[in-house]
Amino acid sequence: MSVQLLPAVLLVLVAVIQIGLARTTYLTPWKGGGFGMFASLDHGAFRGVDVVIDGPDRSETLEIPPSLEELSARVANMPADWLLRRLGEAVVQRERRYRRDVNKVTITVWRTRFDPLTLHAEEQTLRKFEFSPDPPAASAGGSE
Amino acid sequence: MTSPARPLHPFGPSGPHDSPETSAAKTGNDVRRLTAIALLLRPMGDWYVRPAILALAMLALISPAALKRAWLWNALALLIAVRIGGDWPLADNHIYLLAYWCLAIGLASAAPLPAAALARSSRLLIGLAFAFAVIWKAFLAPDFIDGRFFRVTLLTDPRFEDAAVLIGGLSRDQIRANHEALAALPEGAVHAEPPVIVETTRLKRLAWLSTFGILAMESAVSVVMLLPSAFPTLVLRHFLLLSFCAVTYAFAPVAGFGWLLLAMGLAQCQDEWTVVRVIYLGMFLLVLFYSEVPWAGLMTGV
Repeated sequence: MSVQLLPAVLLVLVAVIQIGLARTTYLTPWKGGGFGMFASLDHGAFRGVDVVIDGPDRSETLEIPPSLEELSARVANMPADWLLRRLGEAVVQRERRYRRDVNKVTITVWRTRFDPLTLHAEEQTLRKFEFSPDPPAASAGGSE
Repeated sequence: MTSPARPLHPFGPSGPHDSPETSAAKTGNDVRRLTAIALLLRPMGDWYVRPAILALAMLALISPAALKRAWLWNALALLIAVRIGGDWPLADNHIYLLAYWCLAIGLASAAPLPAAALARSSRLLIGLAFAFAVIWKAFLAPDFIDGRFFRVTLLTDPRFEDAAVLIGGLSRDQIRANHEALAALPEGAVHAEPPVIVETTRLKRLAWLSTFGILAMESAVSVVMLLPSAFPTLVLRHFLLLSFCAVTYAFAPVAGFGWLLLAMGLAQCQDEWTVVRVIYLGMFLLVLFYSEVPWAGLMTGV
C-alpha cells in the first residue's frame, strides 16, 4: 500500500470508529470525525447535563460554572464513564475548594427528542451516573 | 515526427488528465497557500498548539522554500491532531479533515510526483468525507431523512434565522414564539394545551428542499470524486464542488470547512486551467464574504 493513502485510510478508520461509538456510547453524530454534522438533531445544542450534589445537610442542583463548562460540554457530547467520572471528580474538587462536603454527585445527561409530526419536544435521559467520592486526598470511584 | 494530438479540453489545452506533474506546480503552491490562509483565518486549539500552528502557517506564506517542505505540513498535521485530542470529542469534523489534508500535503511534498499525489489525495479525502456524510444522513440519522432536522433547525438555530425569514417567510415574532413552543418538556410530561408551532408553506418547502437537495448534492460529489478520472467526471467534479460551496456556505456557519474544500478542489486543477483556478480563488473570497457579512440579515432589514 502506498504511504500516500495514509490520510484516506485514517479518515475511514476514524469515521468507522465514530459510527461505532455513536451507536454504543451515545457519542453525538456531529462529533468524533464521522462527518455526521448537519445530519441529526442529536447534538450539543439539544443535549444537557444536570448535576446534583448531595452533602451531609443538602441536596442541590449545580449550575455549571465557567470552569466546568468545557468538561460538561464534552460529557454532553459523549457521556462515557471516563468523562462522567472526570466531571464528578472536578465537581467534588470544586466543592472542597469552597469547604463544602460532598457525599455523592449525580450526573444526568439528556437529549431533546422532537416528535416527527408535531415537533413537540421532550427530554430523554441518555445516562445517569452516580459518583461517590472517597474522603479528601484518597482516590475516588464511580458507579452507575 | 509529430507527437500524438491531445483532445481539446474546455479547461485548457492539456486535456483531461489528472494533474500531470509538469503543469501543476504553481497550483500546488496556491493550494498550500490557501490551506495556510485557512489556518490563519480560524485560529484553533489551546495555548500549547495554537501559537505553533499560527507560526507554521505564517512561515508557509512568507517563505517559498518552507511552503514546499514536507516537515512543515507533517508538523501541522501532528499539531492539529494534538488539538483534536486536547478536548475530544469537541472538535468539528473539518478539523479532522484539515489534519488529514495537511498530512496529505506533507506526504505529497516528499513524493516523486507531488502534484499527482496531492490531486489523488484530494479526490479520495473529499469523496470519502462526503460518502460518510451521506451514510449518516441517509441511513444512520432517522431525523434527517424524515425532514425533522431542517424543520427544527430553521425554527430554532439563530444562525439560520435569516434564511427562515428571507426564504421561509417567517416573521421575527413568529420565530421567537416558535422558540418557546419548541422548548423541551421533562421526560414523561405532557402539554395540557400543546403550543402552536408556526410553519409556513414556504418554510416547509425550504426544509424539504434543503433535506433532499443537500443529500443529492453530497451524494453526487462523493460519487464523482471516487469515480476514475475521465473527461465528464473531471468537469463534474469541479462544477459540483464549486456549486456545493456556493450554496451551502451562504447559510452554513462553517466557513473553515468551505475554505478547506476549496483548497482541496484547487489541488485537482492544472496550471493552465486559468479560468477554473480563478473561480476557486473567487469562491474562497465569496465564502469569506458569506462568513463576515450578514448579507441575509441586511436583505431582511435587520
